[in-house]
Amino acid sequence: MFEQSEEAIERIIRHLRRPVQVDPAVDGRVMDEIAHLPARGRRRAARAAWGWLTRPRHVALSPLGGLAIAAGVAALALALSGRRPGAAPPAEGAQREFEFVVVAPRAATVSLVGDFNDWDAARTPMRPSPRGGPLWTAVVPLAPGRYRYAFLVDGSRWLADPAAPRARDDEFGAPSSVVTVGGS
Amino acid sequence: MTLRSLLRAAAAGALAATFGATAAAAQDPRLGRLDPGTRPLVAVVIDSARAAGLPTEPLVQRALEGATKGAPGPLIVSAVQRLAADLGRAREALGPGTTPPELEAGAAALRAGAGPAVLAQLRRARRQTIAVPLAVLTDLVAGGVPVDSAAAAVLALAARARDADLVEFRRSVERDIALGAPPTAATAAAAAAADARISQVNAGARENRPGRP
Repeated sequence: MFEQSEEAIERIIRHLRRPVQVDPAVDGRVMDEIAHLPARGRRRAARAAWGWLTRPRHVALSPLGGLAIAAGVAALALALSGRRPGAAPPAEGAQREFEFVVVAPRAATVSLVGDFNDWDAARTPMRPSPRGGPLWTAVVPLAPGRYRYAFLVDGSRWLADPAAPRARDDEFGAPSSVVTVGGS
Repeated sequence: MTLRSLLRAAAAGALAATFGATAAAAQDPRLGRLDPGTRPLVAVVIDSARAAGLPTEPLVQRALEGATKGAPGPLIVSAVQRLAADLGRAREALGPGTTPPELEAGAAALRAGAGPAVLAQLRRARRQTIAVPLAVLTDLVAGGVPVDSAAAAVLALAARARDADLVEFRRSVERDIALGAPPTAATAAAAAAADARISQVNAGARENRPGRP
């Protein structure tokens, strides 16, 4: 029994040790298979990432957690809207500062009133010019448009701006001027 | 009085109170500066304008101007009514997509004597907003330039001129008139000068434009 199994082992060893005849076309076939394998790398990784991102998922969130996230988003939006160092100013509707000047000798107070301040004499008091003399000035930011205005001297005397076009439709018996602010 | 009639009266009272409160809330608080007799009449004009899709801010401002200048109530009401009518005419001439500043400038131009056809021509001539061309036209007429001359000059410049060019053109006309030039001649000369300046700027822009391969 032992003799037979030794022979069998010897036979197997001889069989394994014999030279193997390889078909010369195998190399070509293997290389061909490799060439047709799907490409690995960036494309495949991107596709996998896209699949991961677009696959629907169930997210469990407590009401308190949801509120916390909403508060965070709101705080972030507020912080971003508050400071934008590089933001360009809006072209349309951008305000420009205009200096109004009137000569009013012996006036105690002069107010600038017009469409831009609801014709409220208390809103835009004019100041005596730092250059001295009877000049009174006020600087008002104005968006593009056409505005009617006038100067109110000592709370009772109306003056049109001599340096600006007069409003044609003075229906109230006191003169007004017009300023036109362009947008381009 | 039956229970049913009592309930009906209560419901009518509640309805009236609700409507009254809504109307009061809808009314602009700035109109509180008008006297009590004028305020509701002006509010009606403003509400009608709003319902017609017209801008109401110019109407509020005109009423406030009257109040500040101490004008009598009927004068304020008629001024606001006239302005509302002018705004409506301006929209008719300029089309439904017109912006509030354009409508306001258009109303002023119509009041100055420009015809609706001029407004429509300006709308066609210029791709940008026509608020400033209309305002310049109105200001020229207010300065003594005949409407036809002012309209012809503004129409000639409107297609290519920037707002700033048009304002500068108006200043130039006013300067020349102040120096004694006849308004029509001053307008024609300033328009020619502005046109030449714009052409020069545009030619410069063309030269500075990067070339194509």
